[in-house]
Amino acid sequence: MVCARKAMPRIFLVVLIACAIGPAMPPRAWGQSASGKDAATPATRDAGLAAWQQVYSVLTHPRCVNCHTATNYPQQGDDRHRHLVNVVRGPGDKGVPGLNCATCHQSANAESTGVPGGPNWHLAPLSMKWQDPQDRILSSAQVCQSLTDRAKNHNLDGAGILKHHEEEPLVLWAFQPGHRRDGTARSLPPLTHDEFVAATRTWVEAGTPCPKNP
Amino acid sequence: METYKLRVNGEAKEVTVDPGTPLLWVLREDLKMTGTKYGCGIAACGACTVHLGGVATRSCVVPVSLVGDRPIVTIEGIGEDPVGRAVQKAWVSEDVVQCGYCQSGQIMSAVALLKSAPKPTESNIEESMGGNLCRCATYVRIREAIKIAAQQMS
Repeated sequence: MVCARKAMPRIFLVVLIACAIGPAMPPRAWGQSASGKDAATPATRDAGLAAWQQVYSVLTHPRCVNCHTATNYPQQGDDRHRHLVNVVRGPGDKGVPGLNCATCHQSANAESTGVPGGPNWHLAPLSMKWQDPQDRILSSAQVCQSLTDRAKNHNLDGAGILKHHEEEPLVLWAFQPGHRRDGTARSLPPLTHDEFVAATRTWVEAGTPCPKNP
Repeated sequence: METYKLRVNGEAKEVTVDPGTPLLWVLREDLKMTGTKYGCGIAACGACTVHLGGVATRSCVVPVSLVGDRPIVTIEGIGEDPVGRAVQKAWVSEDVVQCGYCQSGQIMSAVALLKSAPKPTESNIEESMGGNLCRCATYVRIREAIKIAAQQMS
């Protein structure tokens, strides 16, 4: 949390730089242009990579990664244990008949019973898995490559990813996850939603660069 | 306290309760429909399963404030549904029930399964019924009854 907040002034600086040079930048890139050459200037790319690490810190928080599994089940809790009650992914990532996500998860948090909820509660598709089959979280480079692969991410370009982070109800839920049954608050990702969106915007404006090392 | 208009088994009902009251307790205490059972209270056993907007739902964890205008079907009303009727007949023919406490939830989940998968595989049954516990271990008979209901429907 402390590290994340210290990094923010740098991110805002990058936003200013990105705005200043924006017209010269390609509409989208994965750190490289179609010709294979770096699409962003070194400074912008560095700032973009720094912003990506902020984004990654959120994506791999339990509120997000628990539903980005590589297995046929979601996870629960900050210890990311397997979801109770024999819940399985199902063909549409929403459980199976008789045991859907909506069997318990409603359109909003159920504060009196402690069950989290949001519109269209579901698992992320397997193409957006951010864990390996042993439930180990993938590296920063691996998640970045997956997130920016339009064959895996429902064909979202950088602007599409930014919009997803800004508006998707289940993304918004992660920042307002409600309370557990015992009344204690669920832990929050290391950035606020505004900070998360700002970091995503910086990363997108830098051409969505990904770390090179796995 | 708030007043909620509910549609239960096709009938309009009105209750005035705390918004956080689980649907289970509205059904049992306010509407006196005790066919739906309290088992664990944390959605872990399936005894409290009802259909909410056609989806098998654990009524013990759904506050009445989140029900909205979705119709509710309970074990008292499931026999009006052709699939529900077939499941109940199969339950009787296979003599599924032992103590019976979990069975209303088992039937509600089985009906939800068969409405989506009229010819369920072993895997379908395993996955869909995996959240309904039975301390009498009637699982083998439940499985057979689901298959028989599926055959009767086809």
